[in-house]
Amino acid sequence: MTETSVSSTRKQRARNKGGLSGLLHRSENLRGYLLMSPTLLVMSIGILAPFLILVTMSLWTRDGFSFDTALTMANYERAWTEPIFGALLKRSFWISGIATVVTVALCYPMAYYVAFHVHRNKMMWIILMTLPFWTSYLLRVFAWKVILGYEGVINSGLMVVGLIEEPLEFLLYSREAVIITLAHAWAAFAILPLYVSLEKIDKSLLEAATDLGDGPVARFLRVTLPLSLPGIIAAAFLIFIPTTGDYITPALLGGPDGAMIGNFIQLQFGPVNNWPMGATLSIVLMLWVSAIALVFLFITRLAKDKIA
Amino acid sequence: MDVVDQLGAMREGKMSRRAFTRSLLASGVAIASVPVGARRAMAAAEDQGTYFTWGGYDIPELFQPYNEANGELPNFAVFGGSEEALTKMRGGFVVDVSHPCNSALPRWVKTGLFQSIDTSRLSNWPDVMPELVDLPGNMAEGNDIWMAPFDWGQTSITYRTDLIDLEGEEESWDILWDPKYKGKLGSLGAGADAWWIGAIKAGVPFDQLDTPEAFEKIAAVMREQRPLIRTYTDDNTTLEQALSSGEMVASMTWNSSAVQLQAEGVPVKFAKPKEGALTWVCGLMVHKDAPKLDKAYEIIDSLISVESGKFLIGDYGYGHSNKKAFDEFDEETLTGLGLSKNPIEILQAGHFQIPQTQEWETKMNEMFEQIKAGF
Repeated sequence: MTETSVSSTRKQRARNKGGLSGLLHRSENLRGYLLMSPTLLVMSIGILAPFLILVTMSLWTRDGFSFDTALTMANYERAWTEPIFGALLKRSFWISGIATVVTVALCYPMAYYVAFHVHRNKMMWIILMTLPFWTSYLLRVFAWKVILGYEGVINSGLMVVGLIEEPLEFLLYSREAVIITLAHAWAAFAILPLYVSLEKIDKSLLEAATDLGDGPVARFLRVTLPLSLPGIIAAAFLIFIPTTGDYITPALLGGPDGAMIGNFIQLQFGPVNNWPMGATLSIVLMLWVSAIALVFLFITRLAKDKIA
Repeated sequence: MDVVDQLGAMREGKMSRRAFTRSLLASGVAIASVPVGARRAMAAAEDQGTYFTWGGYDIPELFQPYNEANGELPNFAVFGGSEEALTKMRGGFVVDVSHPCNSALPRWVKTGLFQSIDTSRLSNWPDVMPELVDLPGNMAEGNDIWMAPFDWGQTSITYRTDLIDLEGEEESWDILWDPKYKGKLGSLGAGADAWWIGAIKAGVPFDQLDTPEAFEKIAAVMREQRPLIRTYTDDNTTLEQALSSGEMVASMTWNSSAVQLQAEGVPVKFAKPKEGALTWVCGLMVHKDAPKLDKAYEIIDSLISVESGKFLIGDYGYGHSNKKAFDEFDEETLTGLGLSKNPIEILQAGHFQIPQTQEWETKMNEMFEQIKAGF
């Protein structure tokens, strides 16, 4: 029996049955949509609807206590022309870019060690590394405030040792403080993808490299590093994207020079009382992050092709 | 029998598959219903009113009468600035009582989010100073009272007497603009205080704040100050700790920071600047949809009671709206706290905020935020 005849008899049988099950049998598409529908529903309610609300609101303007719902690009014009917004965006990308590099650079050796040099209880090591992330983000930020503070652990430690006489003031309320805190606060998101990509590397490739005369450094640069590239990219994305919009860390540790775009978005929704502008800035941030991510992806695709 | 035992029993054929499923179902129901039971056990908090207030006002000392009557404290929600609070309520956050200040009063009334106060339901109302009730905007429509006054005080400079040498000169707002103390000065972060201090420093009278020239003059003063400021925050604890460690030598604060630091033996003084301090009255407003209206009145009555007043005056150094609360202190103590039995004297000695329009408020906040961010 050919396939068409199978389906045609099935269709006939279904037609005979009639009713809902018949309908289900008749339409492959409908069945597909039904299977998808819970996911579709969650996505629409949880992601699509809020996003559409945000986009719509960004086209409104503030009118005293309410909104002027006439659609206009005025907010986007402001975001484009007023220097503060561009400068804050640049500052945010700079801070979270450095935080991303620092985080990945610090987490790579840890992930490497667990992937290549730990042979028993690997899971326990991974859990140990993620242990700090079992407490609230806010608590970790506050902990850094205590560590970096004027009478904090670092300053008092250095003073006891006698390396400094006056507490170092740049430690807290600075961009450096924001970078240090972000690098620690998001480390778990870097360790896990790095570990997974390093773990996946076929050890026989390393043996082959050794057999062909590569030393440890050349072996790392020619085999391990390129093969762990997907993990590095994933880790960088997982850190860069959320940290550009972070506002808790800059608010608590940044001081006057450490404010980021997230703080300004929060202010628009809070004291400044201009929700449409806040929505606009959120969308602008989203667009920029997407653009940067695309460029980044494109470059890594090129690099990968070269390696291959 | 726990799940592992059950699995074993089933494997050995002692327990039918169906019985196993049933017992699993039973334990599932038991687990799912735990939160319900537990919630019922702690049900009291749900019966209490919610008080939306500044950090530092969410403490048992201010709710003795309420606690005696209900055996519980009210629920607290905390904000860092009143504009933030208003935005949150406009976004649909419903509370019973909230805590704005006089300069915001007409705008808060205008949102339509509040109901006027039935003072006959407050046992302590006859002792409330009438001068504090009669504020611009409080009787916006006829004789309705929108805000029950509760606390009043000043925004001024708390400075370390051992680290700042005035060289015989009078106390002045110039301390917070002195390049000598660069990086060792603090400021409140909300425009509701900082911008007005800027106006005092720039010499702009409060009844002319709404002009472009005033905005320019004040902005210039705030920009001049910004590089000197270590951090802007509305978190009193941050400012108090920084002052006590010497990280900051002076900061714009409210009365309470100075009083609390003095109590800890830190050599600080709450300045009486020659240009005048900023004075304010804050109070309590009832949400129009207050889910626990009775409790809302109990919260207000508790806050304006003599017991609360005694704590507020003695421990925070703020003025209180209940005139009987002042009788608990002698004149000398009050003078030491920068207060007086005649609060109008104090209020008139400083600059009293004049309510502004929503447009002004938004423009001011935005400009101040830009200046703080370095523009």
